[in-house]
Amino acid sequence: MIPFNLERAESLEQALEFLDRDGTEVKIIAGGTDLMVELREISPGEKGPGTVLDITPIDEIRGIKDDGSTITVGALTPHREISSSPIILQYAPLLASACSTVGAAQHRNIATIGGNVINGSPAADSVPALVALNAEAVFQSKSGERVSLLKDIYLKPYQTDIKDDEILTAVRFPRLPEGATSSYIKLGRRNALAISRMNVAVVLVIKDGEITEARISPGSTTPTPDRITTAEELLIGKEPSEELFRRAGQAVSEEMINRSGRRWSTPYKEPVIAALTARALGEAAGEGV
Amino acid sequence: MKKLKLNITVNGQKHTLKIDPNLRLLDLLRENLHLTGTKEGCGIGECGACTVILDGRAVNSCLILAGQCEGREITTIEGVTPEDGLSPLQQSFLDNGAVQCGFCTPGMILSARALLDHNPTPTEAEIREAISGNLCRCTGYTQIVEAIQAVADGREEQQGSL
Repeated sequence: MIPFNLERAESLEQALEFLDRDGTEVKIIAGGTDLMVELREISPGEKGPGTVLDITPIDEIRGIKDDGSTITVGALTPHREISSSPIILQYAPLLASACSTVGAAQHRNIATIGGNVINGSPAADSVPALVALNAEAVFQSKSGERVSLLKDIYLKPYQTDIKDDEILTAVRFPRLPEGATSSYIKLGRRNALAISRMNVAVVLVIKDGEITEARISPGSTTPTPDRITTAEELLIGKEPSEELFRRAGQAVSEEMINRSGRRWSTPYKEPVIAALTARALGEAAGEGV
Repeated sequence: MKKLKLNITVNGQKHTLKIDPNLRLLDLLRENLHLTGTKEGCGIGECGACTVILDGRAVNSCLILAGQCEGREITTIEGVTPEDGLSPLQQSFLDNGAVQCGFCTPGMILSARALLDHNPTPTEAEIREAISGNLCRCTGYTQIVEAIQAVADGREEQQGSL
């Protein structure tokens, strides 16, 4: 592996101080499951990071909190902890599902949600669920806090708007509304230890047999993660049915092509994202649809 | 590269070492401590041959910098092997024909051990889930799942601890 220096940050303040001084030359490591592979792929002689900053000792940005309306997940919280958290299972079960599909146990035990968010992979498992939860990203730098809608931090695949002197400290989102149901479906090349080929997170609120709220957030579909409002609007005020969900799936497909254009993978992705969306909506709506 | 001082506990034994900052936990175990039971397969966290237990949880030692393990506890295959003979899990792997070339076995045993430490009575699905990050290219997984199930069911009882 290429040479670099390793610095340990014992507190957020210490980490921010360090980034403020040397931010441009630094790579942050937490779970390491993405970064260790990236570092390994840098050839000798190629330029790598001068310093790797280990933030794993910073306990203040780890763990899950619920203040009764908003749930805050510290950036260093590993996927295993999220998928088994009673708070997440009750108020954001689609995020628990999404986190349970990341890699294998060995990855979920150390890989953090902050890493999954900030790595910016279009195939990130937790991101579509977070976008469906209308999550915000919280950044800290020496000059203060910055909060952004999570979906807005993505500039293009593998690139976010995080500054050299910032650390993502948390993601936070409102609890799902009373009576909401949700679903997350991941399609990988095999069940275990696979990167998402495509995935989708949905939330539905159905009152008196009528859909009053719908959120559809597909992954690996558009250049940056987003809810597909054209598909969501189709559902509002309607009675749930297989046919309606099929049309919503179709609308997601159409929006994918509008935003990403026709690419080599389109003949595969076009019917697949439509089917995944329809299936996820059916799951969320429950029996009888 | 500035050398780092590292305090680490491996298989119950405390070590204080001077290490290179780009050393992986896997290299520390194999090269510095000569614990060669931990294997390197893919080196990118896909195969699970390098699985060890870090503070009670199974992890891939190829994806962790040794320098990130300050003050932490590691268990390797050497640490689950009693002075005399084998642990029940190890014996069960032999009895159930779950070992062929043996390369994946240390990682399999540690994934199984981490599972049983947290969940002593797993279902078959939970066993399969726990070892889904460990690839075996010889025996197939059925015998391995049976070997773990036998220990969980108490059918494979041995002297010593799990």
